[in-house]
Amino acid sequence: MIKITFQIEGGNPVVIEANAGDNLLDLARRANVAIDAPCSGNGSCGKCRVKLVSGEVDSAPSRHIPPEEYQAGWRLACGCRVTQDAEIFVPDIASAYQSRMKTADLSSPEEVALFTAIEQDVQAAGIAFATGCCALDIALAEPTLDDTMPDDERLTWAVEEAAGVEDVQIPAPVMVKLAHTLRENGFHVCVKGCKTGASFRILDITGPEDRGIYAAAIDIGTTTVSAVIAQMPSGKIVAKGSSGNGQIRYGADVINRIIEQGKPGGRKKLQDAIVKETLTPVLANLCKSAGISARSILRLCVASNTTMNHLFVGVDAASVRMEPYVPSFFSWQGLLAGDVKLPANPLAPVLLAPNIGSYVGGDITAGVFASLIWNKPEFSLFIDLGTNGEIAFGNQDFLVSCACSAGPAFEGGDISCGMRATDGAIEACTIDLATMEPTVRIVGEQDQRPVGICGSGIIDIISELYRCGIINAKGLFIREGARVARDRHGMGRYILARPEESATEREISINEVDIDNFIRAKGAIFSAIEVLLTSVDMGIEAIDQVYVAGGIGSGINMKNAVNIGMFPDVPLEKFRYIGNSSLTGAYAMALSDQAAEKVDEVAKNMTYMELSTYPGYMDAFVAACFLPHTNRQLFPHSVQEA
Amino acid sequence: MSFVPKTQAFSGKINSVTLGTGDKAVVLGGQNTLPFHTFDAPTENAPKIGVEISDLASEWIAPALQEFYAGCQTMADYARRAETMPGADFLTLHFESADPNGRNRSVEECVADAKAVAEVVSMPIAIMGCKNVEKDGQLFAKIAEALQGKNIVVLSAREEDYKAVGASVALAYGQKVGAESADDINLAKQLNIMLKGLGVAPTSIVMNVGTAAVGYGYEYVASTLDRIRAAALAQSDADLQMPIIAPTSTDTWGVKESVMSEEDMPEWGNQEERGVQMEIATAAANLTGGADAVVMRHPAAVAAIKQFITELV
Repeated sequence: MIKITFQIEGGNPVVIEANAGDNLLDLARRANVAIDAPCSGNGSCGKCRVKLVSGEVDSAPSRHIPPEEYQAGWRLACGCRVTQDAEIFVPDIASAYQSRMKTADLSSPEEVALFTAIEQDVQAAGIAFATGCCALDIALAEPTLDDTMPDDERLTWAVEEAAGVEDVQIPAPVMVKLAHTLRENGFHVCVKGCKTGASFRILDITGPEDRGIYAAAIDIGTTTVSAVIAQMPSGKIVAKGSSGNGQIRYGADVINRIIEQGKPGGRKKLQDAIVKETLTPVLANLCKSAGISARSILRLCVASNTTMNHLFVGVDAASVRMEPYVPSFFSWQGLLAGDVKLPANPLAPVLLAPNIGSYVGGDITAGVFASLIWNKPEFSLFIDLGTNGEIAFGNQDFLVSCACSAGPAFEGGDISCGMRATDGAIEACTIDLATMEPTVRIVGEQDQRPVGICGSGIIDIISELYRCGIINAKGLFIREGARVARDRHGMGRYILARPEESATEREISINEVDIDNFIRAKGAIFSAIEVLLTSVDMGIEAIDQVYVAGGIGSGINMKNAVNIGMFPDVPLEKFRYIGNSSLTGAYAMALSDQAAEKVDEVAKNMTYMELSTYPGYMDAFVAACFLPHTNRQLFPHSVQEA
Repeated sequence: MSFVPKTQAFSGKINSVTLGTGDKAVVLGGQNTLPFHTFDAPTENAPKIGVEISDLASEWIAPALQEFYAGCQTMADYARRAETMPGADFLTLHFESADPNGRNRSVEECVADAKAVAEVVSMPIAIMGCKNVEKDGQLFAKIAEALQGKNIVVLSAREEDYKAVGASVALAYGQKVGAESADDINLAKQLNIMLKGLGVAPTSIVMNVGTAAVGYGYEYVASTLDRIRAAALAQSDADLQMPIIAPTSTDTWGVKESVMSEEDMPEWGNQEERGVQMEIATAAANLTGGADAVVMRHPAAVAAIKQFITELV
């Protein structure tokens, strides 16, 4: 047996026994050591850097590790096979994706405002914020020798009267605790349940003081998971939090995850990663911080893309990526929290925001609902920037949508110094036209040093490089200076932080390949917008309002996004960043039956366009892979000053 | 009442680009009609033919070609002979042997050849490289310098080396530069924009928008030519109004129809005839699609295409 010790930066060491020839990244996964591996270990992304402290591993040099770093012990975990005892240092940057769980961050007024706003907007649209869930205060006459009615009948009669229904269902878990709970509380109890029409389904029975009932809304993103718990019926948010999606170690994008779940035992692994490792701690933490019991969560809503909701339920997602791209379900009711063992009342229904295609899922239908573009006469464009870019366009009369593969660039993937928008990420940047010196804003505490660049930072940097004439429209460096360096193949890069200025002691820069990757991502978004508009015979001038959603962050600079030709050149006041609209949509569904029905209706009325079969898309894409665009006239406000 | 044909007038016009100097100088482009639509407006400048001379020309095996160039030793010999080919408008010197993965002939030798040719011919000169980005960059700069004042065109600057080639050939030595892209209207336009961004005057740019022998994915070439011409004329897109030079012989003499011997393929008939037919068919397609000049090799093919042009213009 070989012993491998993982020395985790800022954490306790983890020891695992291994066999000769085991892959180091697999071992880390087995030992629950978080190492970011967006490419799922095929050696292409170069993110799973670890350092050999002692011992030896069998590894081939990689183009991601320069010789001097290889000498110093740096390796790619995915390219290492263990041969003998070894100590491996895992830098914190590798586990940075597991952004620390943030609970009850209600201090930020903007966060609360988003939810208050949607509640008001939805109500203004004529949708009642109410569900059938309620808590009934029931006082029963205690049984006597003269009154021998059994407990269940006694309760049924009382509930029928209190709720005004004709039928009461008592599921097994409630029946099991019925006798005890009634007697413990002197036959004065609180009955929690859900009323549908003339029938009432009891979900829990508790003591008379325990009257709180709650709803949970969850957004499962490919990269990030976020959730809120709200009181019913008021809708008041009692806790909110987010965390990295535990599936990340099985690949950064849905395709890699689908491949991974197809391997033996893969579906279980992926489901455990999201339910056991991600959602369970998130919900448990939220309950704890709000001081509520998980059993009092009576209703949940999950909004996520098609692959994520399939993996969450434990359904094979293989057909999502295979022609003819038909998933197992679009809109499916019938899931209970107990089915997937979520920390909530096991009988609580889990609503899933409906999918409308393999690549346009519940996150979009919930998001489109939350943006309320379906209730407005003016034409709105809805853009959700994620690993897949999703676009919807329309108004109260029609809606069309499409998805384009933007790749992970907006979340920092595919970018040599890219990272998610966590501590240390450069999220904004300006460059001086004359000196070419950057001024950056970094996520985190005051004195946080930079670790990498996140999506909004990349937009700023590319826009500024272009404006200052440092790169040309193809993203190639055309101006030399102290901040511009070239490697031995002549590939240029712009240095944002020199090794001594960064938190990792590695240079933070953006190179021509990064810029090219990003130009493709922005080209995919813009060409999808263009094609979607063309398909309904409209132009950019038809857009009255642009809603930008997604985790790219409120830091996104719309002017710069237009400057590089990512978003259409419409007046900046038409843009609105609506944050995580998937979560706000799920929140509305969790707290309103009518909202849940409306999302279904909106989803059914949304026309899905498959871009891969649209003949003009490739052409539009190539034209958009240029700063700002091959057809300059589309971007009259884009500037290059030098 | 007599029939008055409707003419189609375009607002856009193809740039006129002059190659060479003196009596033999040629002008490419200048028209505001679709190719050979002489019924809309007279064609300002008839399409031109550039005769290809390769530094590997001694390996050409077609009998009529060998006969035509009989006795030629140096590139200058070949060039002088090529000038006498009926139909030739300009000469295209093709430095195939500079390829570092092939013969790797030195830049100095190639430049010496180019200079020797320039001294003995009066027709305009086009230069083609070996397709190796690095070597072509050095070669083009040196030739452009050596042939300063001859108003040559260098084929071509690509996305990878447009900066070096554009700066040396066009900006430093005042020659014309070809912008080469691969069968995509947007890529062609992007390269022109970047060359203009470098400071190269639009009238110093010609385009090679991608080529293929007929039957070898030529549909892409055809639709690219079509769309570029339509954008230049109908939409007046100034970034696409550069005249087009389509290298033809370099593609057609390398495909199996031209290289399979009659022994191997008796049912295909005479090898040389096949090569000539491929060259004629491809050149005709290029010209009909919108090319303002074609680069050709075989005297019989050149003669046929010259006749084709003369009769249609």
